[in-house]
Formats: sequence, C-alpha cells, structure tokens
Amino acid sequence: MRLLRFEHFKPSSLEEALTAMQESAGNVRVLAGGTDLLVNMKCGLEQPGLIVSIGSLPELNTIAEDPSGDLRIGAGMNLSELAENSLLAAKAPALRDAIKSIASQHIRNMATLGGNVCLDTRCWYYNQSKLWRASRPACYKTGGDQCHATRGSERCHAINSADTAPALIALGAQVVVQKKGSQRQIPAEDFYRDHGARHTVLEPDELLSGLVIPCGNETGKTHFLKISRRQGIDFALGSIAAHLAGNGSTCHSARLVIGSLGSAPIVLEKTAQVLVEAGLSQESIQAAAEAARSELGVLTTLFSSAGYKRDLAQVLVKRVLHSFIKKPTTQKRTRR
Amino acid sequence: MKKIITLEVNGDLHEVAVAVHQTLLEVLRDKLGLTGTKRGCAVGTCGVCTVIIDGKAMLACLLLAVECQGRSITTIEGISSADELHPVQQAFVDQGAIQCGFCTPGIVMTSKALLDKTPRPDDEQIREALAGTFCRCTGHIKIMEAVKTASQYERAEKKSD
Repeated sequence: MRLLRFEHFKPSSLEEALTAMQESAGNVRVLAGGTDLLVNMKCGLEQPGLIVSIGSLPELNTIAEDPSGDLRIGAGMNLSELAENSLLAAKAPALRDAIKSIASQHIRNMATLGGNVCLDTRCWYYNQSKLWRASRPACYKTGGDQCHATRGSERCHAINSADTAPALIALGAQVVVQKKGSQRQIPAEDFYRDHGARHTVLEPDELLSGLVIPCGNETGKTHFLKISRRQGIDFALGSIAAHLAGNGSTCHSARLVIGSLGSAPIVLEKTAQVLVEAGLSQESIQAAAEAARSELGVLTTLFSSAGYKRDLAQVLVKRVLHSFIKKPTTQKRTRR
Repeated sequence: MKKIITLEVNGDLHEVAVAVHQTLLEVLRDKLGLTGTKRGCAVGTCGVCTVIIDGKAMLACLLLAVECQGRSITTIEGISSADELHPVQQAFVDQGAIQCGFCTPGIVMTSKALLDKTPRPDDEQIREALAGTFCRCTGHIKIMEAVKTASQYERAEKKSD
C-alpha cells in the first residue's frame, strides 16, 4: 500500500497553516503525527490534494497552566511526551491514563493529542483496502447511501474509538477550534456528532488547535479505564471515564462517559443522577450499573454484539466507580 | 512534487530527491539501499519498520520522508560497529530469539530504544515496548529473554569501559 500523490506544505506559523486551510478547503487535510491519516490515505479512504504539516508548529506544542488554574494543551503535543508530563499527571491523571492506553509506544511516539481527539471513526466495512471494499457498494462513509453494518439504517454507524474523548468529556474539557480570522471554543461533548461519517463539528477550513481542561476550582476526581481484546496495541471494545465530586460517600456531581461503543462518546446522564441522589456506595454502584445498561439506547453490532456492549457498559460503570472507593492499588511489578 | 532533502541516517548525511508522498521507509530502502528496515503491514501495526528517530522508536512506514529533515535517524544498519554486533543483536543471537528473522530488525531497534532510555527494564516495561511489534513465527518469550540479556551485556560493557 503506497501513498498517492499530493502537495505538501509545511507552514512556519499557525497563521500560515490556517490561510492554506482556507484557500484549499475541501481538498486539504492537516498532518500531525500521521498515524491515522496516512493509514486512511494508504487505504484510499482519503485523497486530499494538499497536506498541511502542523506537527512541529511551536504554537501547538505547549502545555501550561493558565492564571485561573486551568490546563491548556496544544493539539500538537506528542502522546508519549504527554504520558510522561508531570503537569498533566498532577492535573488530569485520567487523561494521562487514557493517553497511555492508546495503541503502542511506537505510535504514541509519533501521534498527537489533537490527532487522537479527531481520530476517524472505524468500521469493519470501512477500514479495509481499496480492493476489499471494491467487492461491495459504497457505504455512507465512502460516499454511498447505505450502511453495511446496520442494514436499513439512515446513517453511518462507524465507531468512535478515540480513547481521549471520554476522558476529556468527563473532565469537562473545552476544544479550541480555529480558522483564519476566528476562533471558537466548544465543550468536548458538543465537538462530537453521533454520525459515523461526519463525527466531529470541524468544518473543512477549521483546525483543532488545543484543549482547555478546567482544573481551577475543581475538587473532584476522575478515573479512566479501557477494555480491549489485547493488552497491547488495540482499539477499545469499550472505555469509560468518570468524574465525581463530593466528599466521602456523598456526591455533588457526577459525569460518566462511555467511549468506543457508538459513533460518539455516550454521556450517561441518568446513571450520573443515580449517584448524585444515592451517593457512592456498593448498592448505588449496582443501581448505577443497571441504569447505564438501560440508558445506552440503540447499539450497533459492530466490533462486538449489541448485547455484549450492554454487558460491557455495566461492567465498565461498576469497575470505574469501584476505583473511587478503593484505595488506589500500587501497580505490582515483578522485578527480575 | 519532488523535494531535495538532507537526511541524517546513522550519522551520515544523505542528500536525496524524494517525492513528498514517499514514506521514510521507501526512501531508506529504495533510495539509500538500507534494506535492513523491513516493510510489513505498512499501516503501523506490525513494527517491523521500526527505526530510532531522535532517540525514540518510530515507524518508518507512517512517516513522510520530507518530515524527517533535521532529525537524527538510526536504522538497524547503524547500530553495530565494523566487526562487532551491538549487544542487543548479540543477545538475540545468543538467546535464539529469532525464527524467520523478518521481524527481528524492528524488534532489535525497539529493544535498543527501550534500553537506551531504561537500562534495567522490568518485565512490564519490556512488554509495553514490545507490544508495538509482532513476531508471527513464534512467541515473544525468547525475545523478552533476549532483551533482558541485552540489558546485562550493556551493563557489563559499561563496567569494563
């Protein structure tokens, strides 16, 4: 699998990048780490005429605490560097855990945070070579008018597997989106659309430039966990991030977000309500897990069966909530 | 669209004309003749094309050659001296951590990057590093043994220096 021809532009500033994006909107993609985009391009899923390389732009490679105590992270920050960053570990350990769970070290050494946030949705019928896909008619995601994963569906059901997405939503993060001459800030939750073929609100001339994680007056704790077939390089079968604020067994606010089960991360509002009403205890965890199961709505059999996904969500909710009441276990490492 | 770029590979500077859509892997193999870096899945899952860039294990199949200007690239050809294998290579030979050998260059480079950063890795650290590589002939047990042996060799070498 080889890459087809394209033009390559390496801007020296973010402004130059945004100008290029505007001039070639619709025929341009930004390249940061390249670990998702280049794979899709090799499979013939995308064929932009212009690549704007933003990986080394200094404006996007920063992590800092702003005066209010919030954490600002540039979209171009490398995942391995973030995984080892002491500021991130102190301010948002759940995001750090999510980052550590992504792919392999090789890929994290190349990939960026912005790239994972924007990670293309995945499907059995989409992430295939051109030759493989040629044996079926095009689907919603490849320009056709049907979904192979869910027959008769009116939309694409490809799965959003971005591990950082549930963590960012649980943390209440804001996504900073820029285009030439303007900038907007969107809650991470609203950045995603429940539509596999167009899964973010990014316009063709827009670029995700950074993330803001509110840590200023937050008192709560956040936990992330992911279940996948293999412990190594793998996409999640399901992941969860939970943010709880309160003291002891009472719970002022709760946010639970499930990733990798649908085309967008799923915010479990009723489940969170159970915790706010009942506090955090063995009984309420059980009730919350059952609430999560019924709150999921319609699920697609894709990568795993819909029934399995429901079971998984229940387990994810239980496990993540238990991590709030358990003392953090120090990871056992067997020394040679 | 072609560009003339300068690549620093194994300490040598190479001026090469590359198409912007060529990957580092293609340029290493086809233009520089460094065929030790293998082409496997070409989509970033198998790790056989691992090279070390600025001290980190990366996948040559998912890097555009034009993006590698000004970075220090080390390939499997660049780790041994004229008449002696690199301790990691020697450890793989001694432990028999090779079957068909196709994945070996990538795994050796991955192990070298790990040991350069973490001279005494524990099992979990080795597993985490090797998770980005695949050996399809056999398991990773002997490979793990080889990484541990390499760690010992390197420490012994440092002591004798």
